[in-house]
Amino acid sequence: MNYEVVFLKGALAFYALATAAAFVYLYNKDDKWSSWMFRLVGVGLALHLVSFGFGMHYFWKIPDNRYYFPINSFFGALSFLSLATVAVFFLIESRHQLGILGAFVLPWAVVGTGSAIIFANPAAEGLVPALQNYWINIHPVVLMTAYAAFGNAFGVGVALLIQEHQIKSRKPSELCYRLPSIEDLDDLNYRIIVWAFPVLTVGIIMGGIWAYSAWGRFWGWDPKETWALITALVYAGYLHMRFVKGWRGKKAVYVSMLGFACVLFTFLGVNYLSPLHGYLSGGG
Amino acid sequence: MTRILRSIRFNIFLGALIAFFSAVGTILPQIGQEPERANAFMQAHPLWTKFLSFFGLFDLYHSWWFMGILALMAVDIVLCKLWNKPPDAGIVALPPELTNEEDLETHLDKKEAALKLKPFQAFFTSKMGLDDAWKTARGHLKREGYAVKEEFFLPGTAGAFVGTRHRIQRWGSYFAHIGLVVILVGALIRSLFGFVEMVPVLEGGSRRMQRLFDPRSFSERVRELFWGHPWTMKEPVDVYVDKFTIEYYPGTMNPKLFASDARVMSGDQLLGQKVIRVNHPLDVNGVRFYQASWGAGGMFRSVTLKLGKETLQLPQRTPVKIPGTPFTVEADMMLPNFTVTDGQADTASLDLKNPAVRLMFSVGPHKTSPLWLLKNYPDICFTEDAQGQLTHAPAPPFQLAAIDPILFSGIQVAYDPGFPIVVLGALMWLLGMIALFYMHRRRVWILLESAGENSCRASLGAWSSRGTREYEAEFGALAKSLRSELKSEDNFQMTENPIVEVS
Amino acid sequence: MEQSLALLGLNHKSAPLDIRERLALLSASELAKRIKAEGTKEAAVLSTCNRFEVYFMPAGEAVETVGNRITALLEQISGAALSRYAYRFGGEDAVKHLFEVSSGLDSLVVGESEILGQVKDAYETARAADMTGKYFNVLFQRALYVGKKVRSETGVAIGQTSVASVSVQLAHTIFGGLQGATALVVGAGSMAETTARHLISQKILRLTVVNRTWEKARALAAQFLAEAVPWDSLPSALERADIVIASTSAERPILTREMIQEAAKTRQGRSLFILDIAMPRNVEEGAHGIDHVYVYRLEDLESVVADNMKKRGVELDRARGIVSEKVREFGLWEKSLGSGREASFKHSDIQEPSRIS
Repeated sequence: MNYEVVFLKGALAFYALATAAAFVYLYNKDDKWSSWMFRLVGVGLALHLVSFGFGMHYFWKIPDNRYYFPINSFFGALSFLSLATVAVFFLIESRHQLGILGAFVLPWAVVGTGSAIIFANPAAEGLVPALQNYWINIHPVVLMTAYAAFGNAFGVGVALLIQEHQIKSRKPSELCYRLPSIEDLDDLNYRIIVWAFPVLTVGIIMGGIWAYSAWGRFWGWDPKETWALITALVYAGYLHMRFVKGWRGKKAVYVSMLGFACVLFTFLGVNYLSPLHGYLSGGG
Repeated sequence: MTRILRSIRFNIFLGALIAFFSAVGTILPQIGQEPERANAFMQAHPLWTKFLSFFGLFDLYHSWWFMGILALMAVDIVLCKLWNKPPDAGIVALPPELTNEEDLETHLDKKEAALKLKPFQAFFTSKMGLDDAWKTARGHLKREGYAVKEEFFLPGTAGAFVGTRHRIQRWGSYFAHIGLVVILVGALIRSLFGFVEMVPVLEGGSRRMQRLFDPRSFSERVRELFWGHPWTMKEPVDVYVDKFTIEYYPGTMNPKLFASDARVMSGDQLLGQKVIRVNHPLDVNGVRFYQASWGAGGMFRSVTLKLGKETLQLPQRTPVKIPGTPFTVEADMMLPNFTVTDGQADTASLDLKNPAVRLMFSVGPHKTSPLWLLKNYPDICFTEDAQGQLTHAPAPPFQLAAIDPILFSGIQVAYDPGFPIVVLGALMWLLGMIALFYMHRRRVWILLESAGENSCRASLGAWSSRGTREYEAEFGALAKSLRSELKSEDNFQMTENPIVEVS
Repeated sequence: MEQSLALLGLNHKSAPLDIRERLALLSASELAKRIKAEGTKEAAVLSTCNRFEVYFMPAGEAVETVGNRITALLEQISGAALSRYAYRFGGEDAVKHLFEVSSGLDSLVVGESEILGQVKDAYETARAADMTGKYFNVLFQRALYVGKKVRSETGVAIGQTSVASVSVQLAHTIFGGLQGATALVVGAGSMAETTARHLISQKILRLTVVNRTWEKARALAAQFLAEAVPWDSLPSALERADIVIASTSAERPILTREMIQEAAKTRQGRSLFILDIAMPRNVEEGAHGIDHVYVYRLEDLESVVADNMKKRGVELDRARGIVSEKVREFGLWEKSLGSGREASFKHSDIQEPSRIS
C-alpha cells in the first residue's frame, strides 16, 4: 500500500471539509464554523506533511535519490504546491484571523491535491542526472512557495472584487458585512504580493545559477524560464502601478490576477512547451 | 524626449512589451531552443516564414530589436532612478495629507501641532527633570535601534528630537534597480564575448572545436604580454572522450548517470582532464566543458547473433561465415530507436530504446535482400527492398543476443565571462529587495517640555511604512517602555486621535 | 439580608455629552479606591465615552444609602449634578444590564465590539486595585463570555436600524477600522450631526466641517472639537476626506462629478465614501461611477435600514434570549452560594468560574 497516497487522500478529505465549513461560514454568522475550518485545515496540513514524509521515504529507497526532495514528478510538484498553499493560508489566517478567506483559497488546495491523486502517477522514479543536484531542494521549493503565496493573493483578490461589487451596487447583502473591508483586502493582497515577489525573483535567479552549473548558461529562454520571467514582469508592473500611480482596489487586483494566470501557465501550461522543465512530457 | 524616456510609465510599457514578445517566443518555435520544430514549421508555412523571419521572429530573443528593447529598458531604469524620487513602500499607508512628509518634518516638526498630525501619538507626564528625561529618552531610543537626529534643546524649557530606523529602505529601490541593470550588463557581456558550442565526440575518439580559443589563463596572458606575446591567441582545441559510461536505473531505460572521461588538448598540450558528469563540468581557464547529452549514432563494435545454440560475433561491416553452412552474414547498420516512417526504416531518437540491426546474407556473389532484426522484439522482422521499403517477414530462426554500440558523448562548451557580473547584480537585487520590502522605515518624534523641577511633559508622534496595524503594536510597546524609563505615573494613554481624547 | 449587586450609571441615552465627558476624564483606578472607602465590599467602574457605570456590592449597609454616597462623591469630583441623569438597578436587573452592555445591546451602535474590551479593562482595573472578590470575578467572566457568545451566534452586529449606524457600518466595510479616517461634514442638519457623532464614537482620526456660512461651520466644529474650513477650500478638504457627509439645502448639486474626479486623482486610489443625505441631492449622480468613489444617497441608506429592520427583530430576539438565559443561570449560581453547595455552570466551553477566583 502506498501510504503517501493514503495520507494525501486523508488530507484531501480534510481540505474538502474545511472548504465546506468555509462556505457555510460565508452564509452563517456563527464563528464556530470559522474555528472548525481552521482546525480541519490544521489536521489536513498535518496529514499532508505525513504524506510528504512517506513520499520522501519511498523516494529515498532509490539510493541515488538520497537526500533530494521528491518534487521532480508531476505528483510530487502538485502535492508540494498544495501543501505550500495551505501552509501560507494557515500562516495568514493565524495572523489576521479573517476566517472568511478560506472559501476563496482552500478550493485551490482541494483542486491541487485532488488532481495529484486523480491525474498524476505517485510512483517514485530515479532522478535524471540533470536533477541530481542540491539545487533541487532549493530552486523549485522557493518558486513554489512564491506560487502558493500568489494563489492566496488571488483568493484575496476575488474577495475584494466581490466586496467592491457589493458596495458599488448600493444594495449590500449580508455577505458584504461578512467580508473584510475593501481597504483591508487591498492591503492584504498587496502585502502578500510584496512578500512573494522577491521570493519569486530569487527563485528565478537560483534557477539561473543552477542552469549555469549544469549547462553553462545562466539564461536560455526555455519556455518555463521565459514564463517565470513574464510572471515576474507582471507582478513588477503591479508593484510599480501601486507605488507610482497609486493604483489600488479593482484595477490593481486585475493586474495581480493576470499575474496569477501567468503563474498557473508557468506551472502547468508550459509543460507542453518546455523540453527542459516538462513534468508531463516525462523530461527533466 | 527625455521626459518620456525617464517616465516610469514608459518603463512599465517596455516591461509589458518584453513580456509580450517573450510569450510569443515560447509559442512560435525558436531556432535557438527547438531547431527541429522551427525547421518543420518553416517548411510547412513557407509564406509565413518569409514574413516572420524578416522580423527575426524565429530567433526572437537574439534579434536586434528585442536586444534593443532590453537595452532601452536598462538605460531607462538608470534615467528613472536619476530623475525620480524613489517610490516609497510606505506611501500608500500614509493618510493623504502626510505624503509630503518632508515638508512637515522640516517646518513643523518640533511643534506639538505637528505631532498631532502623526498617525500615532502618545502623551504622558514624566517625574523627571527635563535634563534627565532628555538624556534618558535619547538613550532609550538608541537602545531600541533608532538613530537620533534633528535634535534641538533649550535648557530649562524644552527639547525635541527625531528617532529614525531603517532609513536604508529609501535606498532599497535604487539598489534593486541597479542590480537589475548589472544583470543586463552581465547578459550583454555574455552575448558579446561568450559562446556556446555543442561538440559531439564518439567514445574513444576526439573532435576539434569549431571555435578557436586562447588556452592561456588570465595571469599567463598578463605575464606573457611582457615577452611580446599577443593578448589573445587563437588556437584550435580538440576534445577527447576516452571512455563514455552510462548507467540505467534497474529495470528501466531511464539513465541514472552518464559521464565522459574527457581530455581537452591544444596540439600536444593537455589543457584539462576530468570525468565530466552532468552538473560537474570541467573548467579550463573559464571555458567550461559540460556533459550535456549522449546518443547512439548507428556505430557499434559488434553484435551478437544467436543461431540455435551457437552465437556469432559480428563486427560492423565485416562479413562472417556461418559455420557449417555456405552462407556469410554481415551486419552493416544499427538504428538505436527503430521505427517505420513512410514504409522505411528510421530512428525516433538517439537513445537505445528499441535498437535494431540490418543483416545481409550472401552465398558467393549472390546477396539476399537485407533483413532488419529488433533486439527487444525477437518475433518481429522486416525485409527491405531496393527502394528501402520494408515488408513484414516471418520470425527468423536467429535472434540478436546483444549489441555493443559505440556511443557519442555530447559535450557542450560554454564560455560566459558575464556570469560573475550577473551574480553580483543578483546579489544587489536581493539586498535591495530586502531593504525595500522587508525593512520598514520608522520615525518617532519626541517633544519634552519642562513642567517644574522634577517633572516634564512628553509628547510622542510616530510614523512607519509598516502596515498601520503592525506598527500600532510596536509603537505601543515603545511608548510603554519609554514611559516606564521616564518614571511616569500617569494613566497611560495612547491615542491615534486628538478628537477622542475624552474617551 | 442577602447582599446583592447594585448598579449606578448613566449613558448616551440618559445624559448629555458634556456630563459624560467630565466623568470619562476621571481616572478609573483612583475612583475605584475612593468608592471602596464609601462602604462597598466589591466594586468596578466601567467608563467609556458613552457610558459611566459603577457596579458595587454594599458592605453591610442598605443599597440605597451606599448609592447616595457614591452619587455625592461623583458629583463632588466632577462638579456636575448627576442624580437626574443617573439610573439605578439592583439584583437580577443589574446583572441583566451588565450582560446587555457587554453584548453591545445597550450601545449606540448596536453590537459594536469595542465595549467588550472596555468591560474587560474595567474588570482588570478593579481587580488590580483589589476591589473584586469571588462574586465580581464570576460576574465579569460571565459578562465577557455572554458578550462573545452573543456576537458569535447572532447577527446583532449587522443589521443596524438607523441611517447613521448603517452609514458607520458601510464605512467599516470600505475602510475596516476607522482610526485613520478623516470625515468631512458639508453643511449642517440633525441627521448629519447624528452621523458625525456616530463616526466620532468610532475614534476617527479627524473631523472637518465646512459650511457656506463661516459662523455655522465654526459653531458646529466647536461642538465636535473638530476643525472648521472655509467654503472656498471645499475641493482641498475633499482630497483629504475619506468619508463625506453632504447635507446642504442647496438647490443643485454642490459636489459635481468633476470636483470629485479631481479629488479622487490625488487620493492614490484610497476609497472615498460619500453620504448624500440632503434633499434635493448634493452630489451629482455620475460621481458614483468613478473608481474608488462610493456615493450612497438617502434612499439607498434607508433601503438598507428597511432590509435590516426585517432581519433584525429575529437577531435581537435571539440575542436577548441568550442574555436572559445566562442571567437565569447566574441567578441559580448566586442562590447556590448561600446554600453552601456551589452550582457549576452548564457550559464547559469557558473557564470554570470557581477556578478563576
